[in-house]
Amino acid sequence: MTLVFQSLRKVYGEVVAIDDVSTSFAPGMIHGVIGPNGAGKSTLINMTAGSYTVSSGSIALDGKRLDKLKKYQIANSGIARTYQNIRLFDQMTAIENLEVCFYPAEVAAAWREVIWPPYASAQRRRRREKCMEILRFFDLQSYADVDAGGLPYGRQRMLEIARALVTNPRVLLLDEPAAGLNHHETAELTAKLTALRSPERIMIVVEHDMDLVMTLCDSIVVMHHGKLLFRGTPAEVQASTDVQLAYLGTANDIDDIRAAAQDRRAQLGIRARRRS
Amino acid sequence: MAAADILAPARPRANRAISWLVFALVIALIAATPFLPNYHVRVLNSLLIYVLLGIGLNIVIGYTGLLDLGFVAFYAVGAYSYGLLASPQLGLHMPFLLILLVGACLGAVTGILLGIPVLRLRGDYLAIVTLGFGEIIRIIINNLDWLTGGPQGIARLDKASILGIQIARPIDFFWLLLITVLVVGTVVWRLERSILGKGWAAIREDQDAARGIGINTTNAKLAAFATSATIGSIAGVIFAASQRFVSPESFTLQESVLIVLMIVVGGIGNIFGIVAGAAILILLPELLREFAEWRILFLGLLMITLIIARPAGIVPRSFGPEKLIRGLFGK
Ligand SMILES: Nc1ncnc2c1ncn2[C@@H]1O[C@H](COP(=O)(O)OP(=O)(O)O)[C@@H](O)[C@H]1O
Ligand SMILES: [Mg+2]
Repeated sequence: MTLVFQSLRKVYGEVVAIDDVSTSFAPGMIHGVIGPNGAGKSTLINMTAGSYTVSSGSIALDGKRLDKLKKYQIANSGIARTYQNIRLFDQMTAIENLEVCFYPAEVAAAWREVIWPPYASAQRRRRREKCMEILRFFDLQSYADVDAGGLPYGRQRMLEIARALVTNPRVLLLDEPAAGLNHHETAELTAKLTALRSPERIMIVVEHDMDLVMTLCDSIVVMHHGKLLFRGTPAEVQASTDVQLAYLGTANDIDDIRAAAQDRRAQLGIRARRRS
Repeated sequence: MAAADILAPARPRANRAISWLVFALVIALIAATPFLPNYHVRVLNSLLIYVLLGIGLNIVIGYTGLLDLGFVAFYAVGAYSYGLLASPQLGLHMPFLLILLVGACLGAVTGILLGIPVLRLRGDYLAIVTLGFGEIIRIIINNLDWLTGGPQGIARLDKASILGIQIARPIDFFWLLLITVLVVGTVVWRLERSILGKGWAAIREDQDAARGIGINTTNAKLAAFATSATIGSIAGVIFAASQRFVSPESFTLQESVLIVLMIVVGGIGNIFGIVAGAAILILLPELLREFAEWRILFLGLLMITLIIARPAGIVPRSFGPEKLIRGLFGK
């Protein structure tokens, strides 16, 4: 089982966000996707999950085309995601945010829940138990009955990942899961994500936090201006002059400069850590 | 959140007290109804019809988060089902229960037919288009003279009877409506708590994220439109049978707006809120009848006060049927 991108392109009007990307992601590994702001990382995730359409090229899981499917069908093919900007169901409780993920599998029997109370309570209890287990894994059990919108930011990030895991997806796409987290929370996240590694699962993590990427990932894809610039192990990525150039080299607009500065800081952090 | 929010009892004892109070008041009112003069019973009947309409519309507005301003169309479909199938108009005199079934099915079909074109719309756009649909249905009825009698409507509708029992006096309709409200209310409440109800809530909160967890939003929305329209249509059948007269006048935009207001004032998404909203918007104008033109002003002021004081509605979302049952029967 692999996730394969072939000659993938995405254009928004004039902007070429993804420019002829061909690569594949194997299960059992955590794949990092890095690159300066605007490199096309989120676009890649959004196309895979069906949030955006593909301009040309194809995406396939297990040889099955995904790019022709509707977003909900892609989700039901075993692809789950989180969003760069958290998107929870704010006015539903934390546990309801997870429970609702049983919808695709169980909605056909919803009428039975209406007419047969014992069946309904059995279903509710079963869903709640399963979801509680996932909440416990993320240390969120005490927030189970709190509205998701009222949770602290860091808990919301965790809850969004928890929601993505309810259906035990084959592909897990995380768009900047550590954005906005403090050191403590990032460490916690790293531990949880490491524990989620499974031989059957393809995990793709878009991230700016280089510490996290380098510790967590088995393989890293470097994106730059919509192109796949480099692919390798964390060590290879750190050694690559191409990558360093992308981050530090020809920066011609303010965003690039800002991104380069930010990422350089991160890289220096890594070197310092390695020395110690 | 206000600490002294007596309507949202955090402690079980307060919840128990409020639950029993609400329960006792409702039972007392029901028990007293047979002894009330006909006029008062009619007012209560109208209240119950609006509660039914509110429960129906709330599925789309409160649960699924789609602002539908054309709900009255389904009410009209039900009313004209009875008007056409149980009157000299077409010479058809079908039994009440059969028409209730036919009306419910027609309601579901129109709900889906009107739902399909608006699937992609949200917010203001949806409101305006559905508002248009409501008006279109009314105008069609108005102009289809040969079938609907046009603006004159259809008179001399059959007296309703169920399994040989005549439903004719206001008190008969009171019992019929009460049973209907209880049955429909229970079904809808159970629907809300089912996985379909959770799906509706997810669509309300974030449609795109709902798709992202595999919800077929098209089907879920159509299910909401269809259920909602079915209930509206059922209310229409009973309304027509109790008036024994139907005309387009009963199905103006104003009616749709009134039902939306009821939901908003009562507490969006909460079945008990609908009862409270209906009580205020249906009973108060009746109580203020003597003050004639002043009552609109008075109602306006009340609305403003309520919206400032309780923007989330009179009844808190947390005080639903579940809480009432827990308050009444322990644990
Ligand atoms: N919805 C959109 N409409 C127009 N342009 C977009 C849209 N989303 C992203 N882009 C553009 O596509 C490029 C890649 O963006 P994105 O995938 O968000 O990058 P990254 O996640 O790597 O920061 C950027 O130039 C961005 O401005
Ligand atoms: Mg991004």
